[in-house]
Amino acid sequence: MKRFLSILLCICLTLTLVGCGSQGVDSKNANKLVIWHDKEDAVIDALQAYLTAAVPDLEIVFEKKTSLTDSLKLVGNDPSAAPDLFIFAHDKIGVFAEMGILAPIESLLEENALADYLPMTLDAATYKDTLYQLPLYFETLLFMYNRRYMQDEEVPATTDELLEYMQNNTGRGRYGFVEQHSTAYYSAAWIHGFGGSIIDENGVPFPDAQAVKDALNYHAQFVALMPGETEYNTVNTLFLEGKADATIGGPWMVPSARAAEIDLGIAPMPTVDATGKPLAPYSGVQGIHVLKFAAEQKTEAVKKLLAALTAPEIGIDLALASGCAPANALCYDDERVANDELVQAMRATAEIAIPMPNIPEMDVMWTVVGNLLTDVNLSGKGIDESFDAALAQANQLIDAMK
Amino acid sequence: MKNRKRDTLVSYAWSAPSLLLIGLMVVFPILYTGYISLTNMNVYHWFDFTIVGLENYFRALFVFDSGFLSALLATIAWTVVNMVLQLVIAFVLANLLNIKKLRFRKLYKTILMFPWAMPGYVGILLWKTGMFNTQFGLLNQWMEKLGHEAVRWLSSDVSAFICCTVVNLWLALPFMIMIMDGALQSIDRSYYESARLDGAGAIAQARYITIPAMKPIIAPAVIITVFTTFKQFDVVYLLTQQAGAKTGSGFHTILTYAYENAFITNNYGYSSAISIIIFILLILFSAKFQLKEDNA
Repeated sequence: MKRFLSILLCICLTLTLVGCGSQGVDSKNANKLVIWHDKEDAVIDALQAYLTAAVPDLEIVFEKKTSLTDSLKLVGNDPSAAPDLFIFAHDKIGVFAEMGILAPIESLLEENALADYLPMTLDAATYKDTLYQLPLYFETLLFMYNRRYMQDEEVPATTDELLEYMQNNTGRGRYGFVEQHSTAYYSAAWIHGFGGSIIDENGVPFPDAQAVKDALNYHAQFVALMPGETEYNTVNTLFLEGKADATIGGPWMVPSARAAEIDLGIAPMPTVDATGKPLAPYSGVQGIHVLKFAAEQKTEAVKKLLAALTAPEIGIDLALASGCAPANALCYDDERVANDELVQAMRATAEIAIPMPNIPEMDVMWTVVGNLLTDVNLSGKGIDESFDAALAQANQLIDAMK
Repeated sequence: MKNRKRDTLVSYAWSAPSLLLIGLMVVFPILYTGYISLTNMNVYHWFDFTIVGLENYFRALFVFDSGFLSALLATIAWTVVNMVLQLVIAFVLANLLNIKKLRFRKLYKTILMFPWAMPGYVGILLWKTGMFNTQFGLLNQWMEKLGHEAVRWLSSDVSAFICCTVVNLWLALPFMIMIMDGALQSIDRSYYESARLDGAGAIAQARYITIPAMKPIIAPAVIITVFTTFKQFDVVYLLTQQAGAKTGSGFHTILTYAYENAFITNNYGYSSAISIIIFILLILFSAKFQLKEDNA
């Protein structure tokens, strides 16, 4: 019996090893395209339905991956394990382009296919003058408020007005305004409002040091009137439970706010009094990327798919299905999209929003800026001292990338 | 002679599948990390990396700066405090579970094992949100009821250290209690009866019978726990250092420090060199600990 079990175990082990070795080696159908994504079901359902009708001769398979970028780093150049395309935000384009797994897509598109695209989305999808992504839709942060507590005429037009509102409406477990004040993605809007930036296109961190320090100094007054926690769940819950009158959040908050029966208002970002510039949040452009080997081996199928995705219909479908702001400007001519308050607010914010940098160096800046904000806002350290430490860490990490 | 040789070969043949698995899952990753640490594998040389010798190790020394040293000291303090508390609390609880005529013994054991059954990630975030959160946490609800101001439990180094220790104990105690419980049950009752006849009290019995008898049984568990505590990442990172949810505490273990100062760079050569250095540190620590055990 023991011997039988041992032999059985050996066979199982061998089969497992053989199985691992041969997985995915089978020949792929030239008309079958596998697309990895990490999106919500509403987006993928809309894409799947549209593509089934638009390109019936292609077999499109969407596969959801929770750690999509890590998986691509491991198998991005292995046709037997990697997808043909993937849908993701534009900020990893630099990393994947430098790794050499992305195909430039301009040659795969029809002439003038991008003529109607919002310039911001094309800027975001371009790395070192090469287009690596076909933008589908974009997201930006929005100023949202609960009309039950903040009336339309009370909505602050400037940051000083916002501060005054917070001073008058914060206390006894209530907050006038909350945001994820010590995370890089949210505070970038404040830094941009002072004319600064986290990193420039050449990979230089904090190109305007004084602007960053001024933003931190000014923003500290707001942080003092917000909760000590900076994470998503706390901020979200405070707003959704009606304990905070206003917030800066992404479009992903809107379904929960509507489910919580909040009378939601969306307003333009306040303008910084000192500079006259609005708080300019980062924008994330979600789009489709083509893997190099798919562009070479399945050129016709990829071209057909991209041609279908440049049509305004898919942008309209996505906007209606999940409130996405389409990258193709023609979509906004549709009456249903034109009447969607959320989509229109994002389009308006797109005029001032700054695409997240897509250079590889930005990967380390999220941590650096997070540490800087934590030091200043939560640990009470001095701005100059914290900024110097952050700059040193940024330079060390950027140097360590090479 | 021939038979012995054949027996040896047969033994190796039967062990081969296990050895192969251990080789694949334990030895190969270490060797591969060592190999990558000698290359320039990074974003700019992802698939076309080349051997660069010990260059990454020289660069890694810059990470081992004063910040790393304080993280190393904090890690040692963290390991010592956690181990002492774990051993004492587990010893007391295991003894309580072995009290004669204790009712609902199995129920208590099940409850005490519960944290072990829960995924660590879920447990840690539950503590962070359910207990320590300034706005919604249970601790601040109590503080409020008692008329005190809300406290930011995870914002300073010392309070974050204490909170992390509490959560780590919650996660780690079931294992230690189970081992100690098993060890206690393996001790022959006649020793205690003889001791009581000789007039030994509870403390003397624990000192001269229970602890010496338990030592060889719990030693492997203690060694394992020392290392899991020393290379702790999840508890400290998720409670205080998680990207987008930092709390303001500067408490770092060597792994959270190395993560923030190297692993996020996407430079696998450089990160592997740091991993190998930390691995060597752990091996040295392990060898020292093992020697002490052998001498004891």
